[in-house]
Order: sequence, then C-alpha cells, then structure tokens
Amino acid sequence: MKMDITEDDGVVKVGLVGRLDTPGVDAVETRLTAAVCPRGARTIVDLSGVEFIGSLGLRMFITIARTLTRKNGKIVLYAPQPFVAQVFETSSLGDIIPVKPDVTSALALAKA
Amino acid sequence: MAGAPTESSRRIDLRLVATKEGFAAGFDELRRGLDALSLDARARFSVELIFEEVVANLVRHGCRNGGATTLSLEVLLRDDTVQLTFLDDGVPFDPRGRPDPAPAADLEHAQVGGRGLMLIRSVSKSLEYARTPEGQNRLTVAVSRDATSGPGMSDGARSGV
Repeated sequence: MKMDITEDDGVVKVGLVGRLDTPGVDAVETRLTAAVCPRGARTIVDLSGVEFIGSLGLRMFITIARTLTRKNGKIVLYAPQPFVAQVFETSSLGDIIPVKPDVTSALALAKA
Repeated sequence: MAGAPTESSRRIDLRLVATKEGFAAGFDELRRGLDALSLDARARFSVELIFEEVVANLVRHGCRNGGATTLSLEVLLRDDTVQLTFLDDGVPFDPRGRPDPAPAADLEHAQVGGRGLMLIRSVSKSLEYARTPEGQNRLTVAVSRDATSGPGMSDGARSGV
C-alpha cells in the first residue's frame, strides 16, 4: 500500500495506491490519521489507485471523518474504481462520507 | 494446446494460522491461486471481499486463548458459482441472522464497525453455517459467476441468512 500526502491552498491531498484490505489499512492508518486529524484538516483522498476495500477500510474512513468533523475539518473521497464504489454504496457510507467522481468536484466540496 | 480444465485449475486449497502475518501470507496465496482461475473481475472481487471479512473477523474475534487457531479454505470453481468453504477451529461463530448496522442519519451517529457481514451478504448467493462434530466452524459461501451479480446486486443470501 502506497500513500503520498501533499498540501495545496489549505487542502491536504492524499493519494492511495494499492489494497485497503487488513494489511493495507495497517500500513497506512496511523500515518494518515496523524497527518490530518490533530489539526482538523480539509482533506481529499484520491481512490483511483485503490483496487480493493473491505470493512476495515470503511471503518478507517468513518473514524477519520468523524474526528475531522468534530474539529471543523472535512474529508472528501474521489474517483473510486467501480467495485470499490459499490462497496461504499452497499454499506450506505456514501450518504455520510462524500464520494465525488473527480478531483475538481472533491476540491470544491472540501473548500466549501 | 487448449483442453478441458484440469482439476487443479478449478480449485484452490490453502491453510493459514489466524494471525495478522498468517492472514497477509494467506491472502497473497489466495490471489496467486485466483490468477490461475478464469474468473471475471466482479466474481474475483467478491471472493477476495469474503476472504477479507471472514479471516479478519477470525483473527480479531475468533481465536481461542492460548492456542493457535488455524483456518483452511477450499475454493471450488463450478459452472455458475464459486464455492468457498472455510473451516476453522476458533470459537463458535454462526454469522447467520446477525443484523446489519442500522443506516446512519449522519456521521456522528454512524456505527463504526459491523459492516463485514453486511458486505459478505451483499456479494453472496448463499451462505451456510455448521458447527462440525469435530468442533470446527464450517462456513460455505457461494458467489455467482454471472457478471451482473456482485456487490450490492445480489440479495439471494438475505432470505437465507
């Protein structure tokens, strides 16, 4: 699981590449949480390189999103591959964590 | 030369110890095995999703104190379905009838966990459980090979779970 974190114009952009299965979540969760949660960052996450997600990956995003919301931050996911998008829809998470089709719409929502 | 699929090209057998390390190694082995089966992308995603949820649950909740819990998995490719049979010697766990998390109105009220079984049901055609006379959990899950079935598209398991 690869992750790169950059910041531009007040928004943290996270790029994830690989699999958000249990080993993948274990590899990135601590660093991702530390990078965005303490300061309540406005965050966008590029999912286009994520080929798999399970319930532990969903749990990671819920936990981070909840912490960010309490600190007036925000997380917006974007560009999921079709099966990954389906997992979000099945679990009804798309209703409470925004998932956008592309970076432009994600950025607009993160800054709103 | 093309011919009828051999037995080995239609099944995968693997064993793992229910630890994080065993899980990661077992997942690698499963994916190598799946590379050799002619599965469409949706069925393959479903098989991997079921493996992830079943094994993660066993590693986190199913191990007995003081002993290594082992799990074996048989994957059988049938004409219409992929059948996964998990056998483990962990604590008894019958996943049938466990309720899904209630839909959350907002983030603050969203249940953090509990979505694993929900995901398994969403990609399964059927799900059967038995506690064997040898004291093992046996979970048999069937996944449709029909490309139109998959995450969020199959509700066949709900009526039987």
